[in-house]
Amino acid sequence: MASTVIGAGITVEGDITTDEDVVVAGTVRGKLSAKEGITIEHGATVEADIVGGSLTIAGALTGNVTATERVDLQSGARVIGNVKASRVTIADGAQFKGNVDMDV
Amino acid sequence: MAGSISVIGRTTRVHGRVTGAVDLEVQGFVEGDIAVGGDVTVDVHGMVGAGVRGRRLVVRGAVKGDLVGEEAVSLEDGARVVGDVRAPRVTIAPGALVRGFVQTGEAVESPSRAARPQSAARPASPAPAKTMAAPPARAPAPTPAAAVPAPAAKPAVRQTEAMTAVGGVTANSLPRRPPPPVVPALKKAKGQVAKRKER
Repeated sequence: MASTVIGAGITVEGDITTDEDVVVAGTVRGKLSAKEGITIEHGATVEADIVGGSLTIAGALTGNVTATERVDLQSGARVIGNVKASRVTIADGAQFKGNVDMDV
Repeated sequence: MAGSISVIGRTTRVHGRVTGAVDLEVQGFVEGDIAVGGDVTVDVHGMVGAGVRGRRLVVRGAVKGDLVGEEAVSLEDGARVVGDVRAPRVTIAPGALVRGFVQTGEAVESPSRAARPQSAARPASPAPAKTMAAPPARAPAPTPAAAVPAPAAKPAVRQTEAMTAVGGVTANSLPRRPPPPVVPALKKAKGQVAKRKER
């Protein structure tokens, strides 16, 4: 259960730091770092560098992504930026432009 | 729509602005202005280090900044507010701590800067009034006793009081406001933030 939710219609300009799950359905500009999961929902706009545990992205993201566990780009996601994680999946229908670094 | 409820969770720290048209609940720490079209709730553990603007504001946590509500501001038990509070309706429940200028009624248009001179002027008026009231009370006592020492004593008293009054007035232009108290929770949180950054 995510305890931090940036709902649709909310814009955060700045840095977000948290130890818990984050769900973004609104707009975030700046930086976003969480120890747990980060979910960027369909319709969300994120222009930020993201650091997190495991990331699920279904919205629009511009920025570099670093995850300690995994990054999942779901169908409908639109990501421009570099992705660094030990496991990365890109679902059919996801748009992606950037480098993938999977610690091979 | 469940998605429209936005929450800044307990361990979350936001350094920057939060804006939008919907409701927001702050359980964590926000250092930056909050301006939303919906309701804002600053929960028991919530801390905001800057101004908050919204339709209705409910505060149970700590806010160091101005609160501006388009409809209402209610400060509930446990609220700690250092800053001005402006809204058509303002409620301060028992147990809420406030240090700042509070204004109810009339539409909220101008930012709180407009209220500052008033807030500064208000504490100023009682101070001179007291000094005005004091000399007449003292004057009748010395005049019947001795005419010579009385004038000497009177100006002395008046001077010191005038000086304090003048000092008060000049001080009132700004620093007359009591220094903001240290909100322990805010301070603690900042320390934590600093600590985290060091790591």
